[in-house]
Amino acid sequence: MMMNSNLNTLFQLPAYSFLNDEKNQVLLPIIRGQLEEAIKNNHYIANLFLKLHLSPEKILCLEEVPPIPVQMFKYFDLKTCPEEQIEKILRSSGTTTGIPSRVPLSKNTTINQIKALKSILKDYLGEKRKIFLVIDHEGINNPLLEFSARTAGIRGLSIYAKKTFYLMREENGELMLNLPVIEELLLRYQEEEVYIFGFTYIIWSTFYNQIRKKGVQFNFKDVKIFHSGGWKKLKAEQVSKEHFSDEVARIFGTVRENVLDFYGMAEQTGIIFVDCECGNKHVPSFAQVIIRDPYTLEPCGNNKVGMIEIMSVLSDSYYCQAILTEDMGYRVGINDCPCGRKGVYFRFQSRIEKVEVRGCGDTFRE
Amino acid sequence: MITCHLLNGEFVDRKFNDFTTIADVITHNRRVLQEMPFDAIIELLAKLGKRLIQNPDINRLQGVSYISIWLRRKNLERICKTNYGDCRYLDKFVPVDNHFAMAAQPRGIVCQWIAANIPTLAFFSLAQVILSKNGSIAKVPEENSAFIAALLKELSGIAISYNGTTYRGEDIVEAISLVSFEGRNTEISRMFSLTADCKVVYGGSEAIRSILALPQKEHCETLVFGPKYSFGVFDREYIESERFEMALENIVKDIAIFNQMACSSPQVLFFEKSKYSLEEIGLKMKGYFEQLPPLLRHQETDPAILASVINARSRYLLSDGTDIITPPDLSWTILMDTIPRLEDPIHGKCIFIKEIESINEILDLITRKIQAITLCIRGEEERRIFAREATYRGVDRIVIPGATHDYDQPWDGILPMNRLVRWVILKNEPEV
Repeated sequence: MMMNSNLNTLFQLPAYSFLNDEKNQVLLPIIRGQLEEAIKNNHYIANLFLKLHLSPEKILCLEEVPPIPVQMFKYFDLKTCPEEQIEKILRSSGTTTGIPSRVPLSKNTTINQIKALKSILKDYLGEKRKIFLVIDHEGINNPLLEFSARTAGIRGLSIYAKKTFYLMREENGELMLNLPVIEELLLRYQEEEVYIFGFTYIIWSTFYNQIRKKGVQFNFKDVKIFHSGGWKKLKAEQVSKEHFSDEVARIFGTVRENVLDFYGMAEQTGIIFVDCECGNKHVPSFAQVIIRDPYTLEPCGNNKVGMIEIMSVLSDSYYCQAILTEDMGYRVGINDCPCGRKGVYFRFQSRIEKVEVRGCGDTFRE
Repeated sequence: MITCHLLNGEFVDRKFNDFTTIADVITHNRRVLQEMPFDAIIELLAKLGKRLIQNPDINRLQGVSYISIWLRRKNLERICKTNYGDCRYLDKFVPVDNHFAMAAQPRGIVCQWIAANIPTLAFFSLAQVILSKNGSIAKVPEENSAFIAALLKELSGIAISYNGTTYRGEDIVEAISLVSFEGRNTEISRMFSLTADCKVVYGGSEAIRSILALPQKEHCETLVFGPKYSFGVFDREYIESERFEMALENIVKDIAIFNQMACSSPQVLFFEKSKYSLEEIGLKMKGYFEQLPPLLRHQETDPAILASVINARSRYLLSDGTDIITPPDLSWTILMDTIPRLEDPIHGKCIFIKEIESINEILDLITRKIQAITLCIRGEEERRIFAREATYRGVDRIVIPGATHDYDQPWDGILPMNRLVRWVILKNEPEV
């Protein structure tokens, strides 16, 4: 209960108002308490601490919390509360291995995640709920389907929606413009404040191409476009982030600064790292980001590329306290981004791509 | 586009659209190599070995000292004898009996696809093509081309006198071309394959499959050094003998060399139950990992491999009945368990060590993909019996600690140079 009251205090404050050191001091005791519970409730996590000769009370700073690689959610049940408190298992589609991640969610965790997302979005969208436009088809949000980066974005952002429209439809497995919906928006909603979400590559490869051919131009009263997902395919097509933002902004009658790339993951639902107007990603008060050198595992200083570790205090039902991603990024600075947001700010660089070992020593299977 | 790094003895990068010019030059120049006495070739290569180790610009490169040892005359003669039986076959017809004689003629142009994991691989491949008097066109990884070029430049500058005639390393180098091109470019790969009188292919499954699917000349011979896996086995008597410490020290070096990327690199070590617990053995290995020279201990490792090591460590930390021994960084990793199975290689000096009831459990794990077993069985007869059974089941090499990477012949179950030549016959009319 004590922990929840601490968390509620965090949710009530603006998401980016804490100086980094202050935040670390607030998060450390919460995380220690959560780790005690995790060890009690999960013998895998108990194994981890035992083998590392570590106990939560010995952890003196956030960097010392042992991170668990995100892949472990595919192979271990990482719940940290009694079984009866688990309300549902979030299954995230496995894009690399084909094995889905399993993230156990309690009621409390889900509530925290919603509060966290609201707190983050409030910083970018203000207080009022708005019209939500999804650059995808409605079927992608089918609760029976496995969670993917696409569904995560839609479900997460929809908490701020007063009404949702899907701008695409699926026809024979292909995404096509949902013209009746687009016409309705043009006719009846141009004076509304809207926010939009789409998967970066889908926006570019299908939506943008098709809507440009149709010559459609929106002109909403106010618009923010959130997009997420890898840049690899766009880079291969030599589309820069600036060009992408300019072109998408043009379609929606706005400026580049309102096209916001964000980074997030199913295993840390509730936290998204949205670009600020300076192009940096900021860490909200209930989370921390550490960039680790992939060889020494030591935290990196500014501008040194390393693996992105995301820490969070949102979950009492699974090990979210320190998750090591397979993404590379670099810290740009702490507390001093010109946008005014406090805390660590960083940039995403790339995913660690699985390489085919270019040699002969690779398998024993016939 | 093909980038040619070496042609006609000139180390200059040139671009070509096809292999016609390169093949014409090699076809012309390989005649001089074919006419060179075999012993002169051996002498030139042996002299190269001595020169490499004396050249401070080259001897600091990783793998050069081993190449230098490999190029010793005695070693080259032994390898050639193993392959040809009698090296005179390379120079002339040698009577087999009164009715016929045999000789070994080069196949022509040997096109080589060199894998990127071992920087020295290109040299060993080229050396065998030289020792079979063939011309070479070697597709080398861009990142290793400067290394191999440095060795061949050294060979270019060598001359020897043999039976009153001067023979030059330059003539050998003129029969070699080094090229690079995008392996995914099907058209260039097709042209390369069709240029070959003999293909030598090193690489992983995907590369091997796509190269083997390319068209080739009807007479073309193909040697494949494909994906392989190596491991080590220790029986109780060996573990409890005085040899054990030295064996562990050497096997740690075997793991470290090539950053565990070679087909001969041990990926798993099986230890029969003994007076030492698995943890005690792991701690002994830890000591030897810590003693590795910095160049071997800290090798550049792809982030994807580092991520795999981090995942493996976490898997063993979270699981029941497993443990790990590691330094704070990712320079090496020991993963301990008691499950008698082979594990997918992780590379980057990440070794699985496993305690087993009996070494005989291991025989059932052997497939034809196993290249080398470092076999530590104390009893000689027991070792021979195990080796006989293991090789029957698919293993190509039974080796000792510290020697898994020795480039022996046969390799991968093949006597390569024997297949790089055409065995020809000269029949004589019977005496009347």
